[in-house]
Amino acid sequence: MRDSQKLRLFLLVGLAVVALLLVVFGPAVLGRFSLNVLTRSMIYAMLALTVDLLWGYTGILTFGQAAFFGVGAYATAMVLMHIGASPSLLLLAFVAAIIVPVVLGLIVGWLSFYHGSTPLYATVISLVVPIVMTQIVFSGGVWTGSSSGLVGYDVLPLGLTGFFRLTGFCLLVLAVLAIVFVRSDAGRLLVAIRDNEARVAYLGINPARVKILLTATLAGVAGLAGFLYANASGVVAPENTGFVFGTEIVVWTALGGRGTIIGPVLGAIGIDYLSASLSGDLPFLWQLVIGGLFVVMIIVLPGGLASLVTRHFPRGKGQQSLKAMPTTADANGTDRREDVFVSIENLGKSYGSLAVLKGINLDIRPGELVSIVGPNGAGKTTMMRCLSDGTEPIEGTVTINGHNIAGLAPEGVVSLGVGRKFQVASIFDTMTVAECLRMARLRHVTPSFTRSETEIALPGPAAEILQLTGIAEIMDRPVSLLSHGQRQALELAMVVALEPKLILLDEPTAGLTKAERTTIGTVLKTLTAKLGFAAILVEHDLDFVRDISSRIVVLHHGKLVLDGTVEDVIHSEIVRTIYSGGAHV
Amino acid sequence: MTLLLDIISTAAILFIVAAGLLAIFGVLKIINFAHGAWLTVGAYCAVVTTELGLNPWFALPLAFILGALLGGLTERFIVRPLYRRPLDAILATWGLGIVIGQLITLWFGRDVHFTTALMQGTVDVLGTSYSFYRLFAVLAALAIGLGFAFLLDGTRLGLSAQAVIMNEALARALGIDTEKVRLATFMAGAGLAALAGVLLAPMTSVDPNMGVPWLTGAFMLVMVAGTSFGALAVACLLFGAAQVVVSTFLSPILGGITVAVLCAITLRIRPKWFARA
Repeated sequence: MRDSQKLRLFLLVGLAVVALLLVVFGPAVLGRFSLNVLTRSMIYAMLALTVDLLWGYTGILTFGQAAFFGVGAYATAMVLMHIGASPSLLLLAFVAAIIVPVVLGLIVGWLSFYHGSTPLYATVISLVVPIVMTQIVFSGGVWTGSSSGLVGYDVLPLGLTGFFRLTGFCLLVLAVLAIVFVRSDAGRLLVAIRDNEARVAYLGINPARVKILLTATLAGVAGLAGFLYANASGVVAPENTGFVFGTEIVVWTALGGRGTIIGPVLGAIGIDYLSASLSGDLPFLWQLVIGGLFVVMIIVLPGGLASLVTRHFPRGKGQQSLKAMPTTADANGTDRREDVFVSIENLGKSYGSLAVLKGINLDIRPGELVSIVGPNGAGKTTMMRCLSDGTEPIEGTVTINGHNIAGLAPEGVVSLGVGRKFQVASIFDTMTVAECLRMARLRHVTPSFTRSETEIALPGPAAEILQLTGIAEIMDRPVSLLSHGQRQALELAMVVALEPKLILLDEPTAGLTKAERTTIGTVLKTLTAKLGFAAILVEHDLDFVRDISSRIVVLHHGKLVLDGTVEDVIHSEIVRTIYSGGAHV
Repeated sequence: MTLLLDIISTAAILFIVAAGLLAIFGVLKIINFAHGAWLTVGAYCAVVTTELGLNPWFALPLAFILGALLGGLTERFIVRPLYRRPLDAILATWGLGIVIGQLITLWFGRDVHFTTALMQGTVDVLGTSYSFYRLFAVLAALAIGLGFAFLLDGTRLGLSAQAVIMNEALARALGIDTEKVRLATFMAGAGLAALAGVLLAPMTSVDPNMGVPWLTGAFMLVMVAGTSFGALAVACLLFGAAQVVVSTFLSPILGGITVAVLCAITLRIRPKWFARA
């Protein structure tokens, strides 16, 4: 493990040095044509990088980077053309080329990402933005030069080789920053959002906000590329900001290899350089080949050319060690056990004319383990949803820790102290155990943007779950290799690592072995009885429920028919009738 | 009066272009970005019939058959492997669009072509003389809309398609050959796109990239309409009207982006507005 990591580091540093040498000494060996084209190609490579961070890492397919690039380029050209090109105005152009796209990026981000938005919708918006921008350029008259663009303004006095070195340097810095970032703990959050956005929200992080920030930042980077382009080429045209250009960037990224940093960079440079060299002889044929290659690549090799290389370098992760944080006994405070933590008043929920829940009243205090039982279709999972997502339209009120949760998105409810474990384990499928757990801690531990920590500190109970189930031994294993029971336990540990005051569990023992069940049962008992957590458990296994619950609630046809101690419920006539299938209460 | 007729015929043209895309999105849940390319193929069918001196009406069946055949091949070899990756399907069909565009360029060159109109002249509508062909487009849109309504409600295939739209897993469990439904839908959608190309050809100029602006417009409309043809018709009328009004009173350039902007805003505010219509 250690060795492979060293090898990777060595290779990356070597690559960076080679790239630096190329940038510095390139002008000595390359001809005029190559310098010109490569300068442009490297600017395009910066754009490919931004598309890759959005699409390859975060899963947002975007055609919109062309618009930000175009806005940056036009902002530069318009300042230089209409106001002037003195050093201070060049600085103004530089600032405008970044600020304007960032502001636009914030607006686009706000439009694209909100609780409940779909990936397709973000793509739709990313399609509209460049189209609108192009039309604005067309209707801009003298200001934007309309369809002929702007040309003949003064630019940075750098010359051919100067621009080559400047763009090369910028690209190199950007690539290194990107590589460091995506490997850092903060960067892994992007992959977490791509893998499982719902889980990110239920870990208390607002995925929409992360995406908006990312969009705005990368819009700024695209604007920087636009500034370089406007200076190096001395001309800006409506095509630079269009939707078709936006798709070209995606093509370079896909062919180079999404989800890697070096792939898209080399893809953009290689394809653009070859296009320029070959297009004189066989212009349409070359486009045809690229298009065909793109289709084939998407279907058979979605990882792009880079995946041919990376499959020989499995992700070498440093050995991750687990550290249990000292548990302050009864962190949630025994003295407050009498305070109601969750109060459900007259809760009702309908889908159209179908009422799933009707008039539910329930109070839950710290230290209680309340099991909800009832036949299929009784409304148990719906109730869990109403408790954890305030955006669900409901009747009545749900008050958690003194706050009405109406209108709160899942991440807001989490911040009130609620952790939810889903029926089917909801974890991050392309990550390792340790990475998943780290995501669960992001709400408490500000992640590093530059480093990947090797030690992970978890609250005592979470660490205990991992140790009892043996997952503590396999912290570096990808979660795709975990068994069903291990996945369930890992998700439970992630939820507990949030340090919630209330845990919602939807059939945590479904499909587990007897031994695994007992372990989970013991953990839940400790969490509630000893540590003062409150827990709501939806469960079918009545034996399990009897062993661990402090209180049992029976739901039937959406109504609460019984609420009492284990003894009350087990011996109740109603429960027996419901489960033998007769009663219509 | 001209304004009203403009609105109706613009809506009709939008509907004709978007119908094929909607059919495919409804059943396959996949956005077919090669839609614009098929439109172009259809337009070139019109060019070919014109150049060969054939009856221009002959282009209609030719385009539909050619489009359906190409659509069948696309479904089998490109779309089918990507059902589980809808975003990748967008990209792959876009790539196919590039390929088709370049093939057309290699064959016909980049020049702009013109075709003979299927019908000429103007006609008097309540005292306003109006292009006969644009009115014909309204009839064509009605025919396509009613045709689809009949297909969906009146035939076995349509019933299966509805079942697939609502719940594909259940449809498969009930013994409906969902693969066949998908293939048939895709072929129909592609054929319809090519047909739209023929109908558009006399109104615009024909060049290898003519499909792209139509694709984006149709795509937005379909996103707003969801999976219902009725909603699509309403959306086409409303946004088409907005487009005509903006083009007439503000500027044609802004008119060109009206549909896209309004659709995006509608989706952000009330995603389900039209789907309920």
